[in-house]
Amino acid sequence: MSPYVESIITLLMINSIAAMGVSLLTGFTGIFTLGHSAYMALGAYTTAILYMGHSVPWAIAIFAGAAFAMLVAWLIGVPTLRLMGDYYAIASIGLAESIRLIIANWQSLTRGARGYPDISKFATFNVTLAFFLVMGALIFLLIHSRYGRAFKACRDDHVAASLLGYNTARYRVLSLVISAFYCGIAGGLLAGFLQYLKPDMFDMLKSTELTAVVVFGGMGSMSGCLLGTTIITLVTELFRPISQYRMLIYGAVLVIIMVLRPEGLLGRYELGPRLLRHLFGRKTPEGTEGRG
Amino acid sequence: MGIFLQQIINGLSLGSVYALIAVGYSLVYSVLLFSNFAHGGFLVVGGYACYFALKTLGFNIWISSLLSLVGAGFVAILVERLAYKPIRERTNVTLYLLIASMGMSIVIENIFVVTVGGRFRALPPVIPTAPVNLGIATTSAFDIISLGVAVVCLVALQLFLSRTKWGLAIRAAAYDLRTAGLMGVNVNRLISIVFFVAGALAAVGGIFLSVRYTLYPQLGTITIKAFVAAVIGGLGSLPGAVVGSLILGLSEMLTAGFISSQLRDLVVFSLLVITLLVRPTGLFGKSVGEKV
Repeated sequence: MSPYVESIITLLMINSIAAMGVSLLTGFTGIFTLGHSAYMALGAYTTAILYMGHSVPWAIAIFAGAAFAMLVAWLIGVPTLRLMGDYYAIASIGLAESIRLIIANWQSLTRGARGYPDISKFATFNVTLAFFLVMGALIFLLIHSRYGRAFKACRDDHVAASLLGYNTARYRVLSLVISAFYCGIAGGLLAGFLQYLKPDMFDMLKSTELTAVVVFGGMGSMSGCLLGTTIITLVTELFRPISQYRMLIYGAVLVIIMVLRPEGLLGRYELGPRLLRHLFGRKTPEGTEGRG
Repeated sequence: MGIFLQQIINGLSLGSVYALIAVGYSLVYSVLLFSNFAHGGFLVVGGYACYFALKTLGFNIWISSLLSLVGAGFVAILVERLAYKPIRERTNVTLYLLIASMGMSIVIENIFVVTVGGRFRALPPVIPTAPVNLGIATTSAFDIISLGVAVVCLVALQLFLSRTKWGLAIRAAAYDLRTAGLMGVNVNRLISIVFFVAGALAAVGGIFLSVRYTLYPQLGTITIKAFVAAVIGGLGSLPGAVVGSLILGLSEMLTAGFISSQLRDLVVFSLLVITLLVRPTGLFGKSVGEKV
């Protein structure tokens, strides 16, 4: 593989890890977020500071970064996710902006707006691939477990879920914390891959992109979000010459998908025989398939 | 003492502009129960409409403002018809509306980036900004004018909601949209009126914000503060939105004046978190806890 292709695939895998986290939260638990770049920023900067500043081994630094992202997610999630309504969505924007501001202004620790340079490269292709495979397998196990079913129950009908004895607020917070873990890991890998960090990398645009790929690929489909990430990353690469239209197209795609096909590309299906049967086979009654 | 009073007046003036934005946002939230993230877009439309009416068409400030208000109102109706109506007629999942509104906000912002360019523009000096000596404190004429205009707009909105037939219908819809529809209210027209009012109020805010700062496509992101103000006051409550905005404006200006102007956005977010922890329903909000 040429270095260019290899670096695109590495970036794609890092973005996919973050997208899996957002997919768990938005697609499977039904919570809207506009601030997941904050958790990536926390993971990235914690990793970089521990690894470069305090010579902690990178493998430990990455997990420390992810743990820090989880802690912040928990602190934000507990007060906001108890409530019904758009409280978390609004808080997530505020969180992302605040964290970006803190990083940009805390010169002594993060080197401020000029960025954190010269991080030794540790997220090679193989390391990223290993993280991607393990975390991908874990999230597929998670969504097919008891917890995954509980998340989907919170999304589809929180009243019914509570009546069945699920503490829906707790499951929503749990889903947020796990998704922050995925974004934190992705951030740490990004630090080790780009070798350079800047607060502007984790702005509202990045959060929007994360939510957009999940919506595009299909809310409630983990492989859908991977497909969405792949398509959007490739399209971004291909259409670099007309990049000023890129955000316009993002926005329009979001609206058009919501209006025409809110379930996204794959809907609630995973890539596999069930999807093929759904596409090419006889129609099965609504609700009997694809909910698993 | 003089400086303190001056900051209080500045804070009230900024807060009253936030109030114009937050009230429109709250109005939409109270009827449709979703956060309209495209609200910031209406503000930008209003700002640019006023700018081009003044610069290109050469109208005076009164006609330009009127054009800007009506223009932003119609854009708001258009956004609702294009993006939200098809969704709300098919499903009651507010997550889809949230995502579509995020898409719409990106679309509006980037239409301006692509067509008129991302550069900063200053409105012609149509609103006086000369310093005014009040005896105990010196402030700018602009602050007093924006405070006055905001009060007039809010009183007019209050009269519209409490004295007219459509105001009654909107208040009924805020309790229960479906029941209001069953009682013979034309729901689609009602929602259009709500969006028109929200868009026009946002345009007033947009004109003042583009004088206070400058006009650029991303000016709409300032609505985050109006969202936060609405949460502090209680989501969906109009008096709450006004009080929350004033609190926010005051704390922002006092922080900028006495501590550091870089911290003002952090203070805004801390207020949000404190409110959610101490009194999640906000100052005037209805109970939003989960009921089973």
